[in-house]
Amino acid sequence: MKTRREFLRSTVLGASASWTVPMFVERTFADLHMGARDLATQPVTGKDGTILVVLQLAGGNDGLNTVVPFADDAYHKARPRLAKREKEIITLNDYVGLNSSMPYLGSLFKEGNLGVVQGVGYPNPNRSHFVSTSIWETADIENRSNTGWIGRYFDNACSGADPTVGISLNKTQPESFGALKNPGVCLSSPELYRWIHGGGEKAQAEEFFASLNSPEDDDLPAEGASIDMPAGGKVGGIQGESNLAFLERVAMDARVSSAKILELAAKHKTKVNYEGTPIARSLNMVSRLIAGGMPTRVYYVSHGGFDTHNQQVNSHDRLLGQLDRALKSFFADLKAQGNAERVVLMTFSEFGRRVGENASAGTDHGRASCLFLAGEGVKGGLYGKYPSLTDLDQGDLKHTVDFRGVYASVIQGWLKTNAKPILKGDYPTMPIIG
Amino acid sequence: MLPAAPDEWTIFEAAHLLRRAGFGGSPDEIKVFHALGRKKAVDALLAPDEALDAFPLPEWASREVAAEEMRERAMEVREMRQRTRDMTPEQADRTRRQFNQQRQRESRQRSAEAQGWWFERMLKTKAPLREKMVLFWHDHFATSFQKVRLPVLLIQQNELFRRYATGSFKDLTHEIVKDAAMMLYLDTQSSKKGKPNENFAREVMELFTLGEGNYTEQDIKEAARAFTGYQINRGNGAVTHNRRQADNGEKTIFSRKGKYDGDGVVDLIFEQSAASRLIPTKLWEYFVAENPPKEGIDALAKSFKDADFKIEPLLREIFLSKSFYAEKVMRDQIKSPIQYLVQMFKELELREAPEAYVLSAQQQLGQVLFMPPNVAGWDWGKAWINTNTLLSRYNVAGFITKGSQENEPVRNDGDGDGMMMEMEERKPARLGNAMKRAERNWAGPDYEKVAPRALREDPEKLIDSLLFRFFQSPLGPKEREAFVEYARSKKGAVFTNKETGELCHLILSTPQYQLA
Repeated sequence: MKTRREFLRSTVLGASASWTVPMFVERTFADLHMGARDLATQPVTGKDGTILVVLQLAGGNDGLNTVVPFADDAYHKARPRLAKREKEIITLNDYVGLNSSMPYLGSLFKEGNLGVVQGVGYPNPNRSHFVSTSIWETADIENRSNTGWIGRYFDNACSGADPTVGISLNKTQPESFGALKNPGVCLSSPELYRWIHGGGEKAQAEEFFASLNSPEDDDLPAEGASIDMPAGGKVGGIQGESNLAFLERVAMDARVSSAKILELAAKHKTKVNYEGTPIARSLNMVSRLIAGGMPTRVYYVSHGGFDTHNQQVNSHDRLLGQLDRALKSFFADLKAQGNAERVVLMTFSEFGRRVGENASAGTDHGRASCLFLAGEGVKGGLYGKYPSLTDLDQGDLKHTVDFRGVYASVIQGWLKTNAKPILKGDYPTMPIIG
Repeated sequence: MLPAAPDEWTIFEAAHLLRRAGFGGSPDEIKVFHALGRKKAVDALLAPDEALDAFPLPEWASREVAAEEMRERAMEVREMRQRTRDMTPEQADRTRRQFNQQRQRESRQRSAEAQGWWFERMLKTKAPLREKMVLFWHDHFATSFQKVRLPVLLIQQNELFRRYATGSFKDLTHEIVKDAAMMLYLDTQSSKKGKPNENFAREVMELFTLGEGNYTEQDIKEAARAFTGYQINRGNGAVTHNRRQADNGEKTIFSRKGKYDGDGVVDLIFEQSAASRLIPTKLWEYFVAENPPKEGIDALAKSFKDADFKIEPLLREIFLSKSFYAEKVMRDQIKSPIQYLVQMFKELELREAPEAYVLSAQQQLGQVLFMPPNVAGWDWGKAWINTNTLLSRYNVAGFITKGSQENEPVRNDGDGDGMMMEMEERKPARLGNAMKRAERNWAGPDYEKVAPRALREDPEKLIDSLLFRFFQSPLGPKEREAFVEYARSKKGAVFTNKETGELCHLILSTPQYQLA
């Protein structure tokens, strides 16, 4: 993978004989050779580093009907219409089982590659989708942080990395990528993640466009960019960086990553079948980028629709089925590539649902829920205590595991770096990785 | 008082004022504006010659129609209760679901109409500062379709912001306490004596008036008691203060004791010194630059208090100040998506926008009218920009500058082919079709007007003219030379409207164009 500077040097310099590269870009190359002194240091990625895929279940996944406490009378009592009977589940032990829409995860559990964390939440939970999502993404239960937990990982552990150290397959940047130095990149669709010229002398115009969007000099500080203070705003930014310099940096990141991502997306063809659902397409894209050897440490994908206030059974089972089939294709694909052991996938959702079903056979916003960790690097099994279904707080489960402890386990166990500066505190980890 | 700038000004300063205090303009509009002189230009912005009701509301949004509809709705709900009484639970559920779905469809349709109505108003208004202030208040007192669900309430709130655009902030805050959309958004509607909801009490102090650290948790708890008893009449939409649901007991707020109601709390808030600082700070950030200097805010805070919290004198002071025209302030603000879109249409002298496309563009760029992400409103500045939104801006510009004839359309959500996220609900089919229509039929700008043929014979003049149109400032000599070379290569027989569109697209596909 090329750094910004290498990219400029090789790609644009090679083409600079063409008149379309204006003088101001050409002059920059002389500086670039001088600038090789601060060639970015690449974090451990490339062909052998570990990769984390974060999968958001947006809308508040009903943990109770995902990891089902089928043996609990209180469950059946609270949900006369929604409760799963024992024959409708994949038994994990004598108390809980998986929703039967997830046969693949069931088999993964038996193989020891699925970790199920029960009762995950945080103190004084917030039932707003937005606030609670923000809390999960910033790992700040006060919801005051300008940066996200993944962004802080980039800042702390991936100094000098390529912009594609993090890729979010979203229209907008997830808050968890918020960083002071390197917020990763986002794209919603590789085909559209490029400058669309639209007819005419395409190559010429695109080359010209490229030169317009190459900053004259990317003025990152030479020595690994030590930045102490955020410039403000949820995206962070480099202290003292002007708006124009910021825009040029993002433009350059977009160009560098767009070229690379398009190239890889076009090149690698998967042999595994994926469904046409958005989540399957996203995971297909992730797998293609992994196969292509992107230096990306963290991918972020979303699976929406979990806000099941109404007639939950059909929609929730359908969503879990889509998730299961997408994961099945994804891990089969990784296996075929020989990358299966490099990837751990973690799900999260902003909150669970209320224990009792509501009048429209749905569930309202609740609190604690479950999350999954999947992959060969995971030590499978059940983690955390299933919250009591009778000792409730205003109709909601009380959390037994702080989500920041799960993050800490992933950061230390899988990304192999100290979690404390990233999470701004110590949280008890669990032996779920390694 | 902030040190004032002289009345003489450059055309670049005039363009700067028109961009920041409005949404920019065409070269001709800027010239006319410049000829007024600085002071008269500011006067013209502050005393616009356009009636508040110059743009008729969608029919359903008028107060009379809305009240009538509410009565009908209340009746329908009663009828449905009757009908479902004898049904099996499943049948009753199905009936209720159908009823709700139909409501939601109508509500989505109306939301889109409201969004189109306001966008068109911003594009066509002769009172640009007023609309810019409406956008400011919408961001400040943020409420969203997503929770409020009744578009009529948001459009009426929008009208409230228009009435108070440059009026008294204190009076507006009193109005907001009794604004139906806000009451639903921050739960005052369901806040009752004995079980007060603290949502509004907290935000009114933290976000709307004082800022964090200028009140105690106790102040919030006590103020929440005072904000009880406000109710929306489901029959006609009117807001009343129900004495029986209100907590009329004594409260202690900011160390003062009294039997305060909501208005009483607002009056107390405006006695706090922090109340005169928050809005000047935000206005500075909105119109001038981030991180305002302390002396500047001190001066404005004094003026604001002396003017009894009226906005108009504050804006006059800002727009006539030296600091507003400082070199590092001009062309250094990252355009919000709305600013980006409206300004681009104005610069291309487009009077109409492809409506559904504009809504889709708002989604792609991250700012949808009437749908701020939360009660704190949008994050401005650098938060607008990431690799995805920047490329989207370039591609939106490509579509707008070139029209549909040979363009690969920027695809809409949920249309199937692309890899799309299903984060939001799928758009209703009708809007999807409108989007396709917009993409098919968009003819693009009139380049005979934007870049007359004669001008195309002289690449240097052509570029200077276009750069003034799009940047209203001298662009760096290197960038200028690059565009001149490009234009030179297109000169002569091949320099048709198509090439002009291409050139405009390139000019807009730059980091510099993201700045206002």
